[in-house]
Amino acid sequence: MEQLKTIGRELAMSSQGGFGQSKEFLDLIKSIGETRSKAEEDRIVLREIDTLKARLSSPNTPKFKLKEYLMRLIYVEMLGHDASFGYIHAVKMTHDESLSLKRTGYLAVTLFLNEDHDLIILIVNTIQKDLKSDNYLVVCAALNAVCRLINEETIPAVLPQVVELLGHQKEAVRKKAVMALHRFYQRSPGSVSHLISNFRKRLCDNDPGVMAASLCPLFDLIVIDVNSYKDLTVSFVNILKQVAERRLPKSYDYHQMPAPFIQIKLLKILSLLGNGDKKSSEQMYTILGDIIRKCDSDSNIGNAVLYECICCVSSIHPNPKLLESAADTISKFLKSDSHNLKYLGIDALGRLIRISPEIAEQHQLAVIDCLEDPDDTLKRKTFDLLYKMTKSSNVEVIVDRMIDYMISINDHHYKTEIASRCVELAEQFAPSNQWFIQTMNKVFEHAGDLVNPKVAHNLMRLIAEGFGEDDDTADSQLRSSAVESYLRIIGEPKLPSNFLQVICWVLGEYGTADGKYSASYITGKLCDATEAHSTDDTVKAYAVTALMKIYSFEIAAGRKVDMLPECQSLIEELLASSSTDLQQRAYELQAVICLDARAVENIMPMDANCEDIEIDKNLSFLDAYVQESLEKGAQPYIPEDVRSGLSNISNFRSQDHESSTHALRFEAYELPKPSVPSKVPSVLSSSAELVPITQPSYVAEVHQPASSALTVSSSGSSELKLRLEGVQKKWGRPAFSSTTPSPSSSDTFGSNNGTTQHESISSTKSKVHNVSYDSRKQQTEVSSEKKKLAASLFGGASKSDRKQSYSGQKVSKTNSHASDKSIIAEATSSSDTAAVRPTSQPPPDLLDLGEQTVTSSAPSVDPFKQLEGLLNLTQDTTNLSSSGVSMPDAPDLMSIYADMSSSSQSTTVAPPPNVTKAHLAKQPSKGSNVQEFLEKDALVRQVGVTPSGQNPNLFKDLLD
Amino acid sequence: MIHFVLLISRQGKVRLTKWYSPYSQKERTKVIRELSGMILSRGPKLCNFVEWRGYKVVYKRYASLYFCMCIDQDDNELEVLEIIHHFVEILDRYFGSVCELDLIFNFHKAYYILDEILIAGELQESSKKTVARLIAAQDSLVEQAKEQASTISNMIAQATK
Repeated sequence: MEQLKTIGRELAMSSQGGFGQSKEFLDLIKSIGETRSKAEEDRIVLREIDTLKARLSSPNTPKFKLKEYLMRLIYVEMLGHDASFGYIHAVKMTHDESLSLKRTGYLAVTLFLNEDHDLIILIVNTIQKDLKSDNYLVVCAALNAVCRLINEETIPAVLPQVVELLGHQKEAVRKKAVMALHRFYQRSPGSVSHLISNFRKRLCDNDPGVMAASLCPLFDLIVIDVNSYKDLTVSFVNILKQVAERRLPKSYDYHQMPAPFIQIKLLKILSLLGNGDKKSSEQMYTILGDIIRKCDSDSNIGNAVLYECICCVSSIHPNPKLLESAADTISKFLKSDSHNLKYLGIDALGRLIRISPEIAEQHQLAVIDCLEDPDDTLKRKTFDLLYKMTKSSNVEVIVDRMIDYMISINDHHYKTEIASRCVELAEQFAPSNQWFIQTMNKVFEHAGDLVNPKVAHNLMRLIAEGFGEDDDTADSQLRSSAVESYLRIIGEPKLPSNFLQVICWVLGEYGTADGKYSASYITGKLCDATEAHSTDDTVKAYAVTALMKIYSFEIAAGRKVDMLPECQSLIEELLASSSTDLQQRAYELQAVICLDARAVENIMPMDANCEDIEIDKNLSFLDAYVQESLEKGAQPYIPEDVRSGLSNISNFRSQDHESSTHALRFEAYELPKPSVPSKVPSVLSSSAELVPITQPSYVAEVHQPASSALTVSSSGSSELKLRLEGVQKKWGRPAFSSTTPSPSSSDTFGSNNGTTQHESISSTKSKVHNVSYDSRKQQTEVSSEKKKLAASLFGGASKSDRKQSYSGQKVSKTNSHASDKSIIAEATSSSDTAAVRPTSQPPPDLLDLGEQTVTSSAPSVDPFKQLEGLLNLTQDTTNLSSSGVSMPDAPDLMSIYADMSSSSQSTTVAPPPNVTKAHLAKQPSKGSNVQEFLEKDALVRQVGVTPSGQNPNLFKDLLD
Repeated sequence: MIHFVLLISRQGKVRLTKWYSPYSQKERTKVIRELSGMILSRGPKLCNFVEWRGYKVVYKRYASLYFCMCIDQDDNELEVLEIIHHFVEILDRYFGSVCELDLIFNFHKAYYILDEILIAGELQESSKKTVARLIAAQDSLVEQAKEQASTISNMIAQATK
């Protein structure tokens, strides 16, 4: 035994060159490998940092030692610790003459420094020198660093040399020079704009590597400006043709595909060039068809090319034949067992349905399967697809699904996205206002902080405007239901501010409208809400205004106002609030309550928020006042542009209102009369105003009538009569209606709905709901539920009315098709899942034999085979080394190999035949590698990392 | 464009990192923590892609090592998966049936190889032969330098004896 150890050690010593590091470094790596906690690792690394600090700063460290210290620095930084104290040494090492050290220096520098680091200025000089070197390897190392480190400021320093290197005799240098130039272009397009023609030149390079490299910058350039590169379409098509016909050197083949990476890049470029251009597209049809036909759909890379072809076909001017083969490929993807292919299939489907929407129907069930897949990635991709194919007939199902998913996830980034998508779809396709409000409530409740504040205003606007012109009962029903739901929700302890604002506004406006709830009940709820969210000033402002409205309505109706004690204390608190806005609102509330019914009715008319307020842009009502002032000797008004000599008002005017014939004066009249209050309480001006709206354009609009109204009141009439006619747009973002506030635009939503019949919609809606949700509970009828879901999504089976209108036969066809499929689905789902999907075993190289957590993949490893491998190997080793070194750990390397080749044949997702062959062919040669394994193993033993310890996988071949 | 390349072991240990887009040291640590939590917990049959902060991360497991690449939303995932495989095949050819241990102790070599395959976040060379030739040329130069150094250090060692 002792003997064995020494032999192992000797072997290890002899192969020390293989790892090439000192014992100390190996020990470091080893000890970090053995740590069991992050804290332990950190301790070791910190100790190492101290050592390195001391060593690096000592003046007479030999250079080859320095090199190793740099490696250790890289290692330390890779583990997430700060190694900035050693950066300068890396920079110094790039100055070294010897390539070995220089290379290490460059490696360290490119890993350590970002392009905005101060030390870069110290390297530029070295890079300049190295770019001129006779040794092309030095030039390559320098170019690598150029790509990583040169920033906008330093580009001019190296640019001439890089351009010169485009003509270097070594193709490796030319290639890197092209990439460096591409990088410069990305950093600062202006600095290399005069050199762009070089990319075209390099496209004709003799070396395929350089040609391929030039495709990267060309792609970027074409994205920005397609038209200047249309002339290259023929060249790209030709290159692609040559690549597909295997004219490139064999070494570019990858898994028997001819230069697939180059093909993909070219396809990407072609899809840009052919987008919306019939003439260019026609040049591509033949080659695209050829590639799709020839592509090997069994290998991953073949599918990657196929997928890129579909992307290209769906982007260029459509060709029916190509679309058909693209659709075929998609169905192959979707039917595959590989999740990756399903994912790509869904993505490709999303691209293709833009051109031919009907192809989605044949894949209904596959899409539903993906939607219900436990894999989040696939699910999200499917939501993407659904989002693209939403229309008014399926919006309810899709949005409901999206919301369910949204509630279930924690990922903020995606939650925001899906919430805004729900809102967008609901706004665009909402079948009824009631549904819209319910949907919005859900979105707000669960992702209120994440959605755009505009959405809240849209919701208020919808509730205010209701269904349309003449359906008042429906409107009030809608409002009552909104009030009811909000009264239920308002008690929740945590609500997003956006949502609370909506709730306060609606309760204020409509809380008492239907007489179901008393004013004191609503006001009590509002006070509770402000108390619960006492830090949110905006919510408080909304709440106070709501209180004011409710009290005003009470007064106007002739009822006596009994202010609840909590309301009183709230108002008292706000009177002294540090926010002037809140103070003002509180004072206004106090003032309004003391007025008589008639005045209050004029200030706060009931349900008048939708009424148009006419804006007298000429301020003609002031004419008399102005006249009077002029007569008294006041200066006449001089417009601002005349005064300042600037005409900056003109653009302001044009964006403000369409009626540019009226001249709107922005400048206040020049009158320091004390009788006119300078500050205008805008809230008073109209009951409907939602004051704390942040959109500047909107605020400008609001303030106009406000000030005009106020001036009237202050100019003598004690009646407090406000002119509310004329203000048209009060909330909602411009997108909802058109941007110009014309009377008809405010009804956009209503008229949309006017075309569809509410009654029928709501009834079908409830049907769909019942169908899709109730049946889900019945686990036995998985397939029928899916079918129904499919029908509601794709408008197929049960909702056939749409389709029957043009082809009744087709419906029945798809019906039977769907049911056939569903039977299969049922059959598969009923049997054991483990048994159903042996074909979707992970590819053999993912097999992890040493893992304890292996569940389904474990059975595929035949224990006997493993044993066989063991036996074989021990025989081998005894043959090889007569001393009889037995390595208990090496065998599984061999057995895996033996195993892989057999298992990979049985799987359907097998690697292409050549790979299997290669493995088989490689096997005998592996035998001769035993020596290598032994060496590695022995060395490792000597180092002390034993595979039998924590991690037996360290030794496993990555490429099995 | 590829924004970064990560090699993470099954135990969550970092084996190699290469950043093509600027990330501060703090961000890097965060990214690694976030992604390893996300990827290591995924089952074997799921997609090799995850959506992350508006990007996509393509990963593949080889034995106990995860190779991850972060790409843009509109890149071809399957292609990137094959770029990973391309990288592993080249590593395999270079180390002679590569295992995780090779990469642990020779991470600098893995970096050199990666630098010949990817540059500035783009695939630079898709020919294995060309990559192998360049790496071999670099190695032989380094080897020469080492021999010189060792003879010199031998001489010094003997002189000081």
